[in-house]
Amino acid sequence: MKPLQPTRRAVLGGALALASTAARAEAGDAIRPLVLICKPQATDPAQYQAAQLCMQEWRKLGLKVTLQVLPATQQSSVVWLNRTKWDMTTWEMVGRPERSDPDELVYSLFHSSLAQNGYDFVGYKSPEYDKLAEAQRAEEERDKRAVLVKQAQMLIKKDQPYVYLVYPRRSMAFNAEVWDPATVVEEAGIGIRNFWTFLQAKPLGAKKDMVLNSPQPISNLQPVHMDAIGSWVSDLIWDHLMRVDIHGNPVPWAAESVRWVDPVTVEAVIRDGMKFHDDTPVTLEDIQYSFQLPANKNKTPQFYPNVANIDQVTITGPHTVTFKLKTPQASFFTSTLSKIAIVPKHVWQPIVEKLANTSQLVEDYNEPKMIGSGPFKFVHWRDPEEVMLTRFEGHWQPPKLENWILRTVSNQEATLGMLRNDEINFLAIFTGDPQNVADLAKQEPKIKVVTTTDLGFQFIAMNERRAPFDDPAFRMALSEAINRKIMAAAAWNGYAEPAGSCVSTALPFWHAPDSLLMGGDIGKSKKILADAGYTLSGGQLHYPAGRKEEITAG
Amino acid sequence: MSLKALLQRLGQTVFILWVVTTLLFFLFRLMPGSPLAAYIDPTMTADQQAILLHQFGLDQPLWKQYVLYLMNMARGSLGVSFIYKEPVGGILLAALPNTLLLTLTSLLIAYAFGTLTGALLAARRGTWLETVTLPAILATRALPEFWLGMVLLAVFSFSMGLLPAGGATSPGASFPSAFARYTSLDYLRHLMLPALTLAIFLQGLPTLLMRSNMLEVMQEEFVVMSRIKGLSEWSIIMRHAARNALLPVATALALGIGSSIGGNVVIESVFSWPGLGRRLVEAVSGSDYPLAQGAFLMIAAAQIVMNCVADVVYSTLDPRVGRR
Repeated sequence: MKPLQPTRRAVLGGALALASTAARAEAGDAIRPLVLICKPQATDPAQYQAAQLCMQEWRKLGLKVTLQVLPATQQSSVVWLNRTKWDMTTWEMVGRPERSDPDELVYSLFHSSLAQNGYDFVGYKSPEYDKLAEAQRAEEERDKRAVLVKQAQMLIKKDQPYVYLVYPRRSMAFNAEVWDPATVVEEAGIGIRNFWTFLQAKPLGAKKDMVLNSPQPISNLQPVHMDAIGSWVSDLIWDHLMRVDIHGNPVPWAAESVRWVDPVTVEAVIRDGMKFHDDTPVTLEDIQYSFQLPANKNKTPQFYPNVANIDQVTITGPHTVTFKLKTPQASFFTSTLSKIAIVPKHVWQPIVEKLANTSQLVEDYNEPKMIGSGPFKFVHWRDPEEVMLTRFEGHWQPPKLENWILRTVSNQEATLGMLRNDEINFLAIFTGDPQNVADLAKQEPKIKVVTTTDLGFQFIAMNERRAPFDDPAFRMALSEAINRKIMAAAAWNGYAEPAGSCVSTALPFWHAPDSLLMGGDIGKSKKILADAGYTLSGGQLHYPAGRKEEITAG
Repeated sequence: MSLKALLQRLGQTVFILWVVTTLLFFLFRLMPGSPLAAYIDPTMTADQQAILLHQFGLDQPLWKQYVLYLMNMARGSLGVSFIYKEPVGGILLAALPNTLLLTLTSLLIAYAFGTLTGALLAARRGTWLETVTLPAILATRALPEFWLGMVLLAVFSFSMGLLPAGGATSPGASFPSAFARYTSLDYLRHLMLPALTLAIFLQGLPTLLMRSNMLEVMQEEFVVMSRIKGLSEWSIIMRHAARNALLPVATALALGIGSSIGGNVVIESVFSWPGLGRRLVEAVSGSDYPLAQGAFLMIAAAQIVMNCVADVVYSTLDPRVGRR
């Protein structure tokens, strides 16, 4: 190539300078310093590290990003209750058995009807997405529904309301000298701490009690109250018409069979001969009442959404109960029939009547005898030390273990020592470094570790009510800048999988593999921004031409 | 102490308690964020959220909440826990025996050891015993409690398997009564490691206090007189000097009971001990105002009351104090 002549070089230089000046003149305002909210490092070290890594990449785009560390409850308060007051936040959706049906996340997180007060806390609104979310909810055929759920995930990939980060991998462990490893089963997205393990775990020797750990005490033990730890226990005491199996599919349980009669009618044939723990029979009236109890939204607000779509529950035969729905709901088996507990009417009806004219919620009432019809019977709740359940011999499928004891162990490092010492024989949860659990298993062959990809996911939510997050190109640029592979390795020490959608890879039937945006290409991010009209001036990113900064930083 | 002085001291105690109560009330309410954020499901309607706010009285103006709070306090009610939905008084009273037993056992060990060791160190001043023991005592006093607790756990529980690593009783243990539980061998086995950790941490103060008092008392004329009378050294130290040196140690013990009730947060967390300290941690991390207020108030009350007790005891034991 011939070198440029001095005069030509001067002309070209002048032209470039002119163009640059013109671009600056046309550029919008400089983007204000953005704030990313995060929990304290001590509360969630991985999430904190992830926030730091993201900020590091975004600064390369010419953004000023600062971290605002807030305790978890204050973070919740700002994000849920002050929806116009924040830019970005780290967030986590936890895995729960009922989330093995994708409806709760696919519909609730992004449907525009839930943007004002509901789960769509980022304020994402897309008529196209709404149609898909509604269609998958109404579609009865599973295969066709999966297509719609995958289309919804791909649309979210295009719009990037979240910067998805990872699906965490959780480690749980048990003593393989106490429990037959063949009977400890892994539930998709949940791990080995699940109903089926507790039902089937077979003791190998004289020790027949399962002793598990929890880092925090239970705050509520109740059939119509959701509690992070308490729900593990209530799920064993109170039975359900259906249960989510280890593959994530709803299967009949206290119901012998369940079928769709038409898109808004479900018929359940109830198993004969079931008893409550006080030896009274489980009647069809009890079943009917169990679905009517949470329908009082002022007294049971937590479970109300699970029954809100039921128009009527009627007894239609000697063993049959029929549910009439207001609108078609494909997730009904998982979100309602596998979720609502069967309660004895003779116990709960007087309680509801007693609390009717008081300010106390029914969902907060701890019924002391805890009478259910599940495979485990309540023995004691010595708060905050332990909860003890015992095998219910009167159940149609009694567990193989004798007693189930959940101990509160606040010291996580001591938990591993207790597992080694046989003070506990099932590590139900470990909030420390999972590598420590793996190391323990190497030292102690009797300890068997099972690591499971979670149903839940970690992400950074961007508030679309506030510029520049209202621009899909800006969100895409931010998302493209983050390398999920490095994120999983660096922030989660390898105990995570890159995430691309709200449906975890733990649910392969529903998950869209193409939804993953691996990211990590800063050049691509810069190009997206440039194509959308964003400019760099003085090292700071500016809005496209004509756009003003209308929000004060902070 | 005269009756007037006693009443004056009691009046001061009540006033300080009111100040603490007021500070606690406003301190928690001035914290950013809604206290119900953790419990309000976003799918709830505004009406449903209002029901919850009303249930906890948080829809009232601040001054009304304060008046209600004081009136409830006067009736002995500390409110209802946001997390547990149970009366705070009941939750704290259930945890109190565990904290008291842990605190009193550790203080008993620490002060028995400290008094004897302090007297001995004073008597053996300048010997190799003092050279070795004094830095060791200072070191144990300086050790972080959680570290000491983890070391004792690693040695006595994880390596030797002698003592349980956490909790107050064995899994599934049941007792016919609370008394049977607290006096059972199982409970005492679980108490040993946390009590030992706390005792090691606490013994520095009585040891050093006793030693310095003893060194002062040993210079007194009555000690010289005892020597002239031909009493044995042991008798002089234990029966005469130590008795006179005990007064400040007794005061420190009274104050120690007060401060240790609230100072067990770390020990209780390391050993998963179901006491007041653990409740406090849960309450603060969960923004459970009523429970946190109640726990702090109970801890502050213990401290204030024990201060008052120390004053009264001191002036009774040494009437010169009251007169000054």
